[in-house]
Amino acid sequence: MIEALFEGLLLVLQGKALAFMLLGIGVGFWVGLLPGLGGATTLALMLPFIYSMTPVEGFAFLLGMHSVVATTGDITSVLFGIPGEGTTAATILDGHAMAKKGEAGRALGAVLASSLVGALIGAAALALAVPVVRPLVLTFGSPELFMIAIVGIAFIASLSAQGGRGMLRGFLAGGVGLMVATVGQDPQAGIARYTFDSLYLWNGLDLVPVLIGIFAIPEIVDLIVRGTSIAGDLPRDRLSRGALEGVKDTFRHFWLTIRCSLIGTFIGIMPGLGGAVAQWLAYGHAAQSARTAEERQGFGRGDVRGVLGPGAANNSKEGGSLIPTVAFGVPGSSSMAILLGGFFLLGLVPGPDMLTTHLPVTFSMVWTIVLANIITVIACFLFLNHLARITVVRGHLLVPVILVLVFVGSYTTNNHYGDILVMLFFGAVGYLMVAGGWPRAPFVLGLVLGKIVENNLYISVARYDAAWLTRPVVLVLMALAVAAILYPLIQARRSVSSREKHA
Amino acid sequence: MHSKASLILGAGIMLLAGAAIIIALDWPLKAKLFPLAIGIPVFVMATVEVIWGVLDPAARSEAMEFKLSEQASGRPGAARALTAIAWMVGFLAAIALLGYPIAIPLLVFLYLKLQGRERWMLSAAVALAVWGVFYAVFDELLHLPFPAGWIQQWLGLA
Repeated sequence: MIEALFEGLLLVLQGKALAFMLLGIGVGFWVGLLPGLGGATTLALMLPFIYSMTPVEGFAFLLGMHSVVATTGDITSVLFGIPGEGTTAATILDGHAMAKKGEAGRALGAVLASSLVGALIGAAALALAVPVVRPLVLTFGSPELFMIAIVGIAFIASLSAQGGRGMLRGFLAGGVGLMVATVGQDPQAGIARYTFDSLYLWNGLDLVPVLIGIFAIPEIVDLIVRGTSIAGDLPRDRLSRGALEGVKDTFRHFWLTIRCSLIGTFIGIMPGLGGAVAQWLAYGHAAQSARTAEERQGFGRGDVRGVLGPGAANNSKEGGSLIPTVAFGVPGSSSMAILLGGFFLLGLVPGPDMLTTHLPVTFSMVWTIVLANIITVIACFLFLNHLARITVVRGHLLVPVILVLVFVGSYTTNNHYGDILVMLFFGAVGYLMVAGGWPRAPFVLGLVLGKIVENNLYISVARYDAAWLTRPVVLVLMALAVAAILYPLIQARRSVSSREKHA
Repeated sequence: MHSKASLILGAGIMLLAGAAIIIALDWPLKAKLFPLAIGIPVFVMATVEVIWGVLDPAARSEAMEFKLSEQASGRPGAARALTAIAWMVGFLAAIALLGYPIAIPLLVFLYLKLQGRERWMLSAAVALAVWGVFYAVFDELLHLPFPAGWIQQWLGLA
């Protein structure tokens, strides 16, 4: 095994493979920065180019590209408050809040360092976990996957706002997200639901225009209203100083970064959940790490832990989601489904062969993830100061550029004007949510999980009737969901009573 | 602003959830199971939220995330927000009428000149640069289709 590990490294470092990996990194770097252009779309666009490549070269190119998309997507989220990728939206909440406080450098340092840690843990998981993970994946059926989704929503809904009313709004937002996910053709009966005879709505609402609308539009409107730069009128020298501080933050909260990386890896392994879910679960976990209710109030206002969690998780899921793809031929996400196509184009069949005959190729994938992330993070750190300075550029110079990114990013999702209308509609919803003090995170998680929740609920009921509710893992997850709801309430009560004691 | 936005949102969700439930009632069980299972609790929660808002409009609940700046409050703030919305609607109209390749430099130039009160040269240079990046990345490199505007179509230029 050790021999195969080194053989894998040597394969990636061969001249042509290395060149293709660097090319892939270059493409992925810009794809991640540009909102709307997703990693999955770019994988699909690049697939025809691998015909003439060897398997190692092909994966070095495709994986090199795909594994850095989340890293640079985080940069757009931090600097502009626009999700560079669907999987980097959670970084906005605290990352962009930090940028507005003049801590863009620190936020970028934190997100890059945590991304690297996450990617390394995901890659290590891919290298080590295949024999261990097989029984785990097989234990998780539809009831368990349904409950994981419910736990995720419960976590976010209960943690993203304060008090009883905040929790009500959190659950309401999550419920609305789940409802919006029902738009489109129903997977069971084939009925067109809430499509109002519009062909555009038959496939449901795409995540990207909704995310861009709900997150970017309120920020842009506020930037225009303020008439200042993103970081306001803060002194320039504060921006670049924090990058090293951000790296230190990663090690200051190292166990949190590790835990969130493991969450990302685990969600990556579970087929159908994907990186968009991983980041929010990690964010919820990071928010839960606050010891007091007062400390928790700092989340969403620029707490670095809210950057470290999603930053680590959306990169570690890459290695995790490769595990079922490589080992069982079961893609964990749409990107992995496209990558699976790459396996067949390159003449490889996922499954036991990848762990025996083609083990060096499997390890070359591990090394590609590791090297691509290291190279990207180093390249980003070289330009970090320049990137951070964007936040002090005059607001009205940035607004039209951001508007172009937002309108082009939404449109390129499906090349349809409907995407722009959806983006603007959810922009208005997002603005009202921000103005009213409603949390947006549960809405997004509900939307991301909607189809997964519905499919798994339907299969659970059809296959097990009510008996699925008594499965041991389901019961454990149910208890976890209840704990997620009760924990902030208990924490708030404790804070009040301790304040009364001190008074 | 805070309570008004919440009330609009709560009432809007209540109405939409109610309509969604009524529409779903006509579908077969397989199709309506999930929309009803989610729609009914959402309707109930939205009703509670609206009643809560009406009975206790002063009660605030802060979400742990981005908040609008202080300048957004009051009449001047509302007027500026409306200006921002007008720019977006204008951009949408320009895209539909003229297509992306013309709408993009036009928006950038007009925004910098009218809203930002920048110099002519700077406005034109930034507009050209943004158009250049758009053309190089999306047209030349990725070959993504951006249709011509309605005006070009009416004039038979597309």
